[in-house]
Amino acid sequence: MVDILSMPAIDDRMTVLRSHFDELPLGFFVTNYDGYIEYLNHEAARLVGFDAIDEALGQSLQHIETTINCGLMEAFDRILSGHTFRREELHCTNRQGHFAILNVYCCPHRRENGEIGGVFGIIQDVTESAKKKDALEEAIYELSIISQVSEVLSSTADLDDIVKIILTGATANEGLGFNRAFLFLVDEQETCLEGKIAIGPASPEEAGRIWSRLAGRQATLIELLNDYRERENENNYSLSSLIADWRIPLDGNTVFGDAINSGRGILLTAQDQYSPETAEILRRLNTDSLAVAPIISKGKKFGLIAADNCITRKRITSSVVDLLQTFAHQTAVAIERFRLYEAQVERARELENINRCLEESREQMIRVEKMSVIGELTSAIAHELRNPLTVIGGFVNLLLSSGQPDDNSEYLNIVLSETHRAETVLHQVLDFSKASRAKTRELSFNDLVAKTHELLVSRLRRDQSPPQLELAGDAPLVWGNPEQLRHALYQFMYLTVDELSGECTIGMHTMREARQVRLVIGFEGRDDARAKVVKALKQIFGNPTGTQKLSILVAGETIRYHGGNYGVEGSQDNLPRLYLELPHYNGGNNE
Amino acid sequence: MSKLLVVDDELHVRKLYQEVLSRDGHEVTAVATGEEAYAALESHTFDLVVLDIELENDSGLNILKQLKAAHPDLPVILNSAYTVYKADFHSWVADAYVLKSSDFKPLKDKINELVHA
Repeated sequence: MVDILSMPAIDDRMTVLRSHFDELPLGFFVTNYDGYIEYLNHEAARLVGFDAIDEALGQSLQHIETTINCGLMEAFDRILSGHTFRREELHCTNRQGHFAILNVYCCPHRRENGEIGGVFGIIQDVTESAKKKDALEEAIYELSIISQVSEVLSSTADLDDIVKIILTGATANEGLGFNRAFLFLVDEQETCLEGKIAIGPASPEEAGRIWSRLAGRQATLIELLNDYRERENENNYSLSSLIADWRIPLDGNTVFGDAINSGRGILLTAQDQYSPETAEILRRLNTDSLAVAPIISKGKKFGLIAADNCITRKRITSSVVDLLQTFAHQTAVAIERFRLYEAQVERARELENINRCLEESREQMIRVEKMSVIGELTSAIAHELRNPLTVIGGFVNLLLSSGQPDDNSEYLNIVLSETHRAETVLHQVLDFSKASRAKTRELSFNDLVAKTHELLVSRLRRDQSPPQLELAGDAPLVWGNPEQLRHALYQFMYLTVDELSGECTIGMHTMREARQVRLVIGFEGRDDARAKVVKALKQIFGNPTGTQKLSILVAGETIRYHGGNYGVEGSQDNLPRLYLELPHYNGGNNE
Repeated sequence: MSKLLVVDDELHVRKLYQEVLSRDGHEVTAVATGEEAYAALESHTFDLVVLDIELENDSGLNILKQLKAAHPDLPVILNSAYTVYKADFHSWVADAYVLKSSDFKPLKDKINELVHA
């Protein structure tokens, strides 16, 4: 190690210093007690701004300090008072006007008698590492903002919440710090941008009020983002009205169209040249500088965010535009996620509906199958009853036809009459059981009604007028046992016509409703027709005869088992009418 | 006078048919099963068969098939409490299908029509 302090002659010391420190990559200098440079190496000369070492020798630190202002005089004073000096990351401009960030370390050098003889100093250029550190800090800051925005965005699946969070992040001081932010969304036809929402003060006065209130809160960005609903309610900005109902064509020559079509963020400043259409946008937003970031995901154009600093007039940098574009990407991802969520919700709803309909269809099929079983059972019972009735009626006929009328003739005739009545009932039951053997399937309601009507007309007596039939053009399919349903429809048609033919005009028509299809049996007639219709319907549905009762019972249950209903409806103005309705069948996916 | 064979598994029905149809001048033989019917046809000649369908141990439609195979010209009236067999293809081999009823007019009319055809 070289003991330069022990060298008595300055020339000797200089020689040693130059040989050891001239090429040192750190700046190194030595002054005398009066602050004049006795030695400095090449790096120190470069940093201070001398072209050569010799140029600096003999210069005073005070003179150099007035130029570069890096604390050298303060260092000198501290050294003379027995202290060391250490300053880091000093921002300096040297004698040649070059900017540099320096670390400066100084200590005293002492004579043999211990007195301070001057100053040793080291100057380190940390400009590049400081810049990298700044860039790193900026990146961390940006990542922090994005991370916080992402965290809050992940807590919601509501589109309104998403856009408010994004715009809050763009305008919060702890975020991007824009004065105002606007959201425009592409319309369904993808031809225009529509103004949706804006956040920020509408005037400098409003800005002052809002920002002073927010400044008192000391909230973090994540707190602000989580409080966006409160912010919105509290401030109730009128800015959104500025862009409400504003439609901007995407194919127009505007900064918005350019941003959307290019997929890149754009910074528009007062110095730029732009189209009259863009000028109109700036005029309407009352600004001369604007950052625009398109919201695009996987080629799908959702809209854009526009932001400015029209209140503070703070210059918008390209790095902030980049960050706004990152926000826009976040928005696109959030919107995409929202739409997927919506689609999932819709799909879940559809599946629920399908499941419900399947369950209903299953229950309906079970009911219909039960009807088939009932049909088979009634068939067996009816057959067992028919033979005894045949025997009873047959022998009574023989008794009545074998001799002269006697005291028992009246009773025999009663037995015969009741036997015939019982046989009629059995006939109906057997018809039903026969119908039960048919397989359930999808059926055209109109065909069902038309064929039943045809059967009815063929069986009417000569004195009975056939009812008019009108079929709806859009009557849907129904599901069920065709024979059972035809039997049920026939019973209702026949009972009505049998009771009311000749009393009024009977018309039948089918009609489609939201979930059902209907057969309506209506009546028209003169003034006294109402009373007759009411009486007949009361008779059929309120106090039916024995055979009517069975017919209504079987037909009504058949309709109900098929998920349908029947009844009488009417008003004061119209004659009452009879209706039967069955549910639509949509291939097992009933609505 | 026509010779009629009645096939029905119910005793009272057989008795009734014998009574009713005999009063119309027919000679009636009534049996309960298919085997009895085949045996009667082996030993006697008949002008017409009145055949029930739902028999206790057999189906009238099976008997009909056998009868028509052995005696294709012998008229057979299916006489059942069921209407459903009208739609059964196998019943179409019969010459007529008449529902059982205490009113014998339809059956009598059909017998007269077929035996005098």
